[in-house]
Amino acid sequence: MAKKSFRQALNDALHSEMARDPRVIMMGEDLTGGAGANGVKDAWGGPFGVTRGLLGAFGPDRVRDTPISEAAFIGAAAGAALTGLRPIAEIMFVDFAGVCLDQIMNQAAKFRYMFGGRAKTPLVIRATYGAGSRSGSQHTQALHAIFTHIPGLKVVIPSNPYDAKGLLLQAIRDDDPVIFLEHKMLYDTVGEVPDASYTIPFGEARVVRDGKDVVIIAVGRMVSVAEDAARSLAAEGISASIVDPRTTSPLDEDTLVEVTEKIGRVVIVDEGNPRCGVAADISALLADQCFDALKAPIKLVTAPHTPVPYAPNLEDAYVPTPDAVIKAVKSIVKR
Amino acid sequence: MSLIEAVTIPKWGMTMTEGKITQWMIGEGGSVTRGQEILEIETTKVTNVLEAAASGTLRQIVLAEGTTAPVGALAGVIADESATQAEIDAFIQSYADRIGSGEEGEGGASLPRKVSVAGGSLNLLEAGEPSDDIVLFLHGFGGDLTTWLFNQPVLAETMRTIAVDLPGHGDSSPVVGSNVVDEIAIAIEEAVTPIASGKIHLVAHSFGGAIAAALAARLPSRIGSLTLIAPIGLSKEMSRDFLTDFIAAERRRPLQAVLERLFADPSKITNDMVEGTLRFKRLEGVAEALSAIADAIAGDTGQKQSIGATLSALSCPVTLIWGDQDQIVPVPQQGEIPANATFVTIPQAGHMPQMEAAAIVNNAIIKTIAQAGT
Repeated sequence: MAKKSFRQALNDALHSEMARDPRVIMMGEDLTGGAGANGVKDAWGGPFGVTRGLLGAFGPDRVRDTPISEAAFIGAAAGAALTGLRPIAEIMFVDFAGVCLDQIMNQAAKFRYMFGGRAKTPLVIRATYGAGSRSGSQHTQALHAIFTHIPGLKVVIPSNPYDAKGLLLQAIRDDDPVIFLEHKMLYDTVGEVPDASYTIPFGEARVVRDGKDVVIIAVGRMVSVAEDAARSLAAEGISASIVDPRTTSPLDEDTLVEVTEKIGRVVIVDEGNPRCGVAADISALLADQCFDALKAPIKLVTAPHTPVPYAPNLEDAYVPTPDAVIKAVKSIVKR
Repeated sequence: MSLIEAVTIPKWGMTMTEGKITQWMIGEGGSVTRGQEILEIETTKVTNVLEAAASGTLRQIVLAEGTTAPVGALAGVIADESATQAEIDAFIQSYADRIGSGEEGEGGASLPRKVSVAGGSLNLLEAGEPSDDIVLFLHGFGGDLTTWLFNQPVLAETMRTIAVDLPGHGDSSPVVGSNVVDEIAIAIEEAVTPIASGKIHLVAHSFGGAIAAALAARLPSRIGSLTLIAPIGLSKEMSRDFLTDFIAAERRRPLQAVLERLFADPSKITNDMVEGTLRFKRLEGVAEALSAIADAIAGDTGQKQSIGATLSALSCPVTLIWGDQDQIVPVPQQGEIPANATFVTIPQAGHMPQMEAAAIVNNAIIKTIAQAGT
């Protein structure tokens, strides 16, 4: 089986689904190299290289560069979805969702409900997120908690190339608005990805690693942080399970409850800020449903309650690290 | 002179490069008899247990539970009481030096390769001594060549072996056509006969048994022996629910519940086995291909294939192996077993005795092949 990058896996999914379904269209900033400029078309393959080749394969009617106007083009995408197209709209940095939040939160998320089930909104909004690229507070946030909070949205956060392709294909085929979050620092990571198409259901967590002393729940890039921590812990005789929910909405509560009841010690690691975050949300669920099985408090390893710093050393201190996870694990395994 | 014996990570499966120790069944200082189960190791399929190669005392555990180490790495030391700690330390040190020197593990890791057949390609894994005769492993419904994880390496020690991914499974492309069993047999014949000119000793599991019978009917003079593990096609009864539930399960928990029915001891199933099966089942076209095979295996009134007559007509050795706790294809009645077949029942094994009781199955295969003579 071929090894492909996260970026290539997404590109695979976009190519194959656009070929299979003529209703799929794409829109976003710089997807095709800048429609208003005199430059080379598709020079970069999109701002992060994910959309390479799509303009040539499917033409400018289906792959559209937009002006810097999130409110307009996300609104247009929501409307296109209502009329029967299956749009994939890109928000270059998820932080820019602030500009179009009404279109996402009050429009797309509510259409099915407010139109009595007679409207469907098969919209995918792809966005990059996450720290590590020295891009500052307005280009680095992890806002999945905000989208998870809104009923009517599905929120998908792949952690590896295999999941990226399967989850994106599922997202495009899903009839509801899906926020598909791609961590910038994962694009170059590599893994085995089948050439054939496949979908991964939403609300289906992956058990990344089986262990018996503690379970580490992690999303997105934090899965590889958890894997690094688990390897160090194994060398010290502590055996950690790792579970990746893959989608925070819908959330695979059954798997999270099952592993918590089996193991009794939980650490949740999330790059989002701590207040009202996904880590706190999962923690409350487990504390309620697994109280008698828990042998220690649930530990949350998150970023601090600050904007993401621009200074490289401060950005590195901001993001949860394997050491922070190890420290949290050790604080509860001796109890 | 003290006897010091190494307990090392075994090589199970041609592509296995490392194993994870899940449990030491004896503590340090405990006494050990040769053949006693001492160490539980997790593979990509099931957890399996390593037996002690010598008697003595488990003097030292070198690799703790939860550790993953390369094949051949020293996990522990068995020695008799007369060995001094200094001798044990020196022994452990000599192992560290050996691994560090970059010496290849015995056999290295074979890699699977694809062979062109009409309509696509067949993936196969070859291992063992060069020879015109081969042992050909055919897995069952929904499986792949790694079914033979604990069997192919053992047979490869003395024979040339080939394990295939059946069409529509693993990395082999699916067949099209209304007679699924024949189409699959044709594809395998096309892939294998050019590369093996001598006798073909068939080892097949479950649905693979029907393919083996079809091959034996097509090429009677080429077949050296048949060892069939819980094959379909001998009795009317089987758990058709297993087939439909396997195809229907799209998520980890329901699929794990289905896979547990395959084993007498469900705790042997590893997370990797479930995840690997899920990844296979998700691929486009797999559900359709599996449904076509399921329809060929059983209908509302029971099994559709019938291999008894084909087996009875064979003059080569035929062995049937069954776990007595098989929930999928139950042990056939006396009258359903061909008179010329040797029947081996394995206690406390389910539908996958080649994994749950690998040593017994391997011995039965070797014995059957030996009966074929030259």
